Amino acid sequence: MKLIDPTVVANTMACVRAPVLPSLEGLTIGLLWNHKAKGDILLTETAALLQKRFGGRVLPMVTKGNPSAPAPADMLTNLTPECDYLITAAGD
Amino acid sequence: MVHAADLSPGDLISGKRQWQFRSDPDLIMFLGFLSHQITVEFLSSNMISLTSRHLAMSKAQTTHEVPDDLLAAMDYCYEQGWTDGLPVVPPEESRVQAMLAMEGRPPETVLAHHPATGLKLTVHAAAVNAVMAGCLPEFFPVVVAAFEAMDREPFNFHGSTVSTGGSGHLLIVSGPIIDEIGMNAGVNLFGPGNRANATIGRCIRLTLMNVFKIVPGIADKSTQGNPGKYSFCIAERMDKNPWPPLCEELGFPEGVSSVTVFAGAGFCNVENHGGNTPEVILDTIADAMANYGCISTGQSVVVFSPEHVEIVSRSGWTKADVREYLFEHATQPREVLERIGKFEGGYYRQVGQDCHRGFSPDDILITVGGGDAGGHSSFIPSWSRGRGSIMQSQAIGVCIDC
Repeated sequence: MKLIDPTVVANTMACVRAPVLPSLEGLTIGLLWNHKAKGDILLTETAALLQKRFGGRVLPMVTKGNPSAPAPADMLTNLTPECDYLITAAGD
Repeated sequence: MVHAADLSPGDLISGKRQWQFRSDPDLIMFLGFLSHQITVEFLSSNMISLTSRHLAMSKAQTTHEVPDDLLAAMDYCYEQGWTDGLPVVPPEESRVQAMLAMEGRPPETVLAHHPATGLKLTVHAAAVNAVMAGCLPEFFPVVVAAFEAMDREPFNFHGSTVSTGGSGHLLIVSGPIIDEIGMNAGVNLFGPGNRANATIGRCIRLTLMNVFKIVPGIADKSTQGNPGKYSFCIAERMDKNPWPPLCEELGFPEGVSSVTVFAGAGFCNVENHGGNTPEVILDTIADAMANYGCISTGQSVVVFSPEHVEIVSRSGWTKADVREYLFEHATQPREVLERIGKFEGGYYRQVGQDCHRGFSPDDILITVGGGDAGGHSSFIPSWSRGRGSIMQSQAIGVCIDC
């Protein structure tokens, strides 16, 4: 009996890991909040700790409209040239 | 099911909307899936146009050779992690081909995609999972339409399938296909007991798990789950429905059936055997819609039992009247929501101090179903604490305005 595999998908998204940053020293920090309760507090506190330890600049927090949907592509591409690394968090 | 051969070209035009069969025999023959004796000339000039956007990159289907032993094959499916915990029909090749014959487009056609992972569902993969769920081929157009509805952005395919909220995707089928494929709209509406209802709903879950990798505990982080995640599919009852069917209300051409997909957060029985006026029946439903655990800004589905809808409609209440009343009365005072920690930043629609469930009467879908006896209606709250998903509807087995 020949069975057809039910798990085969059409294709997959090409995902590549970003290169590891050699240092956080003086780098610009981006913040992406999913808009759920307390996530903004967690992000702000985390960024403050990182800034205290490594210096650099913290960009204004960017907020997703819908917590449970992926961030819009243009939101991420707009952040890319501005920040060296991006933090996101769920504090709910 | 309505067959293309039974119609004249004029039958395909209803109002300003044009539609054509997806399972058109010509198209099936054209695509080489099977031969068919019926020819419908007017459709051959109006073939569905397929672009690269609609076709997935081809990839060889993986097959598994197993001994000709059905019970062993069922165990094999378990071993591969292909099931929802219940036994499945082994996805044997000829059964998959029979399922594919019900869909007029190539098997590589993409029906839905996952916005976060990029995983895509083809007609072929849906057919394989439909076989495993126990679907008959004539059920397959409902499955196809359901995934096309879920693929629309407002449905929020990602959040509604992986969230802690534990959405079960409720399918509400309306129109002539209900009788044509033998769906249950009556007694024991939410099951069990009917193959079409049970297996169509089950196919949604198996597909989410097998194709989109929405696996419990891994991608599916639902806190407590939901019985509807096994299967959650109902049909609209028309012989006890005083109002137009959903498919008509949604604007689909006459004779076209529809499926509405709603990311449901469970099932709430609304019992009232003593009330005998529209207001008290609707007050009971509104109370369920706005209880502390359920109230949110999200949408609602209300399924009236025949007894309840008879009480409401005999006084001349229309569906619009009912929606208005429920929206007006499904409320909680702001101070209460603040006290219990559910004011959520004040996104509620407020009139004075009253915070409403949903944003407007149009957020309430009303239908009828269930057995003749019993004062039991149901309310299905939306998944998510807000408006995480907006229900979507799709014509079944036809292509509108294409």
